[in-house]
Amino acid sequence: MNTRDLIDMAVRNLLKRKVRTLLTVLGVVIGTTSIVVMVSIGIGMNVGFAKQLESWGSLQVIEVYPSGGMSYNEETGRMKQEKKKDALDQKAVETFRQMEYVEAVSPVKNLYGLYLIAGKYMADAGIMGIEPATMEALGYKVEEGRALSAEDSKAIVVGGAVEFYDPKLSWEARWSAEPPQIDVLHEKLSITFDWNYGTRNADKSIKPIKVEAVGKLSSEGSDSWRVIMPMKELEKIEKSQKEWEKKKYGSSSASSTERNKSKEFEQVLVKVDSMDNVQKVQQQIKDMGFRASSLSDELEAMKETTKMLRLVLGAIGAISMVVAAISITNTMVMAIYERTREIGIMKVIGASLKDIKRLFLTEAAFIGFAGGVIGIILSFLVSLGVNLVASRQGSMMQSSIPIWLYLGAVAFSTGIGILAGYLPAVRAMRLSALSAIKTE
Amino acid sequence: MGEAIIRIRNVKKIYQMGSESIPAVNGISLNIRQGEVCCLLGKSGSGKSTLLNLMAGLEKPTEGQIIFHKKHIERMDEDQLADFRQKYVGFVFQSYNLLPTLTAMENVTLPLIFKGVPVKERNERAMEILQAVGLEERAFHKPHEMSGGQQQRVSIARAFINQPPVVFADEPTGNLDTKTTYEMMDLITGLANKNNQTLVIVTHDLELSEYADRIVMLQDGKIEKIEKKLTEKGEIQYE
Repeated sequence: MNTRDLIDMAVRNLLKRKVRTLLTVLGVVIGTTSIVVMVSIGIGMNVGFAKQLESWGSLQVIEVYPSGGMSYNEETGRMKQEKKKDALDQKAVETFRQMEYVEAVSPVKNLYGLYLIAGKYMADAGIMGIEPATMEALGYKVEEGRALSAEDSKAIVVGGAVEFYDPKLSWEARWSAEPPQIDVLHEKLSITFDWNYGTRNADKSIKPIKVEAVGKLSSEGSDSWRVIMPMKELEKIEKSQKEWEKKKYGSSSASSTERNKSKEFEQVLVKVDSMDNVQKVQQQIKDMGFRASSLSDELEAMKETTKMLRLVLGAIGAISMVVAAISITNTMVMAIYERTREIGIMKVIGASLKDIKRLFLTEAAFIGFAGGVIGIILSFLVSLGVNLVASRQGSMMQSSIPIWLYLGAVAFSTGIGILAGYLPAVRAMRLSALSAIKTE
Repeated sequence: MGEAIIRIRNVKKIYQMGSESIPAVNGISLNIRQGEVCCLLGKSGSGKSTLLNLMAGLEKPTEGQIIFHKKHIERMDEDQLADFRQKYVGFVFQSYNLLPTLTAMENVTLPLIFKGVPVKERNERAMEILQAVGLEERAFHKPHEMSGGQQQRVSIARAFINQPPVVFADEPTGNLDTKTTYEMMDLITGLANKNNQTLVIVTHDLELSEYADRIVMLQDGKIEKIEKKLTEKGEIQYE
C-alpha cells in the first residue's frame, strides 16, 4: 500500500466520524496550546530581560577595564593593590581585535566638564571618545542622521536626552524653564570647557571648538545623555583643557594624566558577533588579566533564577497534553471496536499486517497533527492576547513564541498522536481475520 | 484437468469447547486441481466452511498439512499468510463483505490498493472487471444503494480483479433468490474458466453443484464421497 493511498484512506476514515474526530482533535488543541503558551511565557521572560538589559546597552558588548584594582587578601585580611599585569594599551586592543568572534574593538575615553554650545544655549555634556569607525558595530542606536565613520573628525553624535538651557538664567530659572527645542543636526554647534560660557564671567581666552552633529541617539537608555565623538578629537580638547588649566592654576590636576602618560586606556569596548559567544570571549579577556563585564552576565543570572519557574510552567502544559494523548488512545480503541469487521475484510482481501498498523497509526498521527496545527494558531492568538493585557497593565510578563516552538509543537503533537495510537494499532493488526469478518 | 494446486494431507481441525473436543474437520485428504471448479457440498456442521478457511489460511489446522504449490500454509506466520492471500487468493462471501462507506469501484480496487498498484492502472482494471460483471453503471454507488445481487457482483469483481490463481466462494448465493443465484453462478464460473482460475465453492445447495467439475461431499468433518461430472454424457462418475 503506498503512502498516498494510506493518507487518503486515513483521512476518509477520520472524516467519517466527524464529531468524534473533532472532539479528540480539540483535546490535542488544548494540550498543544497550553504547552506552547506556557513555554512562550517562559521564553517571554527571558526576552523581556534581554530587552530591558538592551535598553541599558548592547548585550554583545564587553566592557574591559585595566587590571590592578583593589582586592581582598584572605591571609592578611587587608585590602591590597593588585599587581598590574598587562597594560590596557594599543597592544591589548590589537590582541582583542585578533580574537575569535570579536567584531569590533574600540578604546574609550570619557571626559567630563564639557559643554555643548548651540547659539545662545548650552548643555552639560559628558563626552565619550571612541574609535569612530567602530561606532556602528558597537551597537549605538542612532535615531536620526548617522553614526560616526572613519573619516569623521570634528563630528559628534548627540544623545536624545541631552538638554540645553540658557546660561544667562539663574539655577532656579533653569529648572523651571521649558527646555528649548534645538535641532542639533541643523544647528551650528561647538564645544567648550569654559563653565562660565555665555555669562559675564566667560573666559575669552577659551575658544570653543566648532563641531558638526551627524547623528542623534535615542532619548532612552543609558547612552541618551552621552555625546560621542572621535577619540583623537577628544584627546585634542583634553590637551588644550590641560594647557589652559596649567596656565591658570600652575599645575594640572592629578589622576587622569597618569594614565595618559602610560598610554593606557581607561576602558575598551569589545563587540562580539553574537550573544552566545559573549561569555567565551569575556572569559578569555579575564584570563589575560583584565577586568571585564557585560550585560550578558546579568542576563545569565536572571535566566538561572527563572529556570525553575519555566520548568513548572512547561509541566503544567504537559499535563493537558497527557490527557489529550489518553483521549487519542481512547478514540482509536473505540474505532477498532467499531471497525473490527472492516479490519477483517481488509485482511482477507490482501492487506498486510503492516498496512493495518500503518493505517491506524496514520489516523492517530493525523489527529495529533491537526490538533498541533490548530493549537499553534490558537497559541498565536492567546499569545497576542496575553501581551495585549500585560502591556495594558504595564506588566513585565509577556509571551514570545519563536519559530522553533511552533514547529516543535506540531512535531510533538504528531509524535504524541503516533505514540498514543501505537497500542491500538498493534491491537488492530493482531485481530484474527476470520473472527473479525464474522463480527456483525 | 491440471495438476494439484492445493494438497490437503490428513487435516484435522478440533475446536475445544470447555472440556469437549469438537472435530470440525476430522482427517481429510484432498487435492484441488489447477483450473477446476470444485464444490464442497454438505449440510450445516459438515465442516465444509472450516475446510475452506483452512485452505485460505484463515485458520490453522490442528493436525495435517495444507500445501499450496510447494508452500506449507499451515506453517506460515501472519505476515506470510497476508502476503499469500494478497498474491494468490480471492474471496467471495455469502454476506458480500463490502466496505459500506466505499463505492463499488473503490471496493473493487481495494485489493490493488493494498498491492500498491498505481491509481490509473487500478481504476482501468476496476472499470474493466465491473464491465465484465455488468455493473459499470453502478460503479460510483455505495453498497446500500444496490440490490443483493449487485452487491455480490461487486464482491465477485473484487475477488477476480487481481486475477488470483484460486478463488474461494463461501455460500456465494446464500442470500440470493433462485434467478439471481444462477446468474451469479454463471458469472463466477465463467470468469474462473476464462482465465483457467481454480474455483472452490462451499455450498449446501445440491443444484449449484451442477456447475462444478467435481463435487466433494462432506459429512461430520469427513469426505463422504467425491463425484466427478462428465459433461458430455451428463452422468455422474464416482471417484
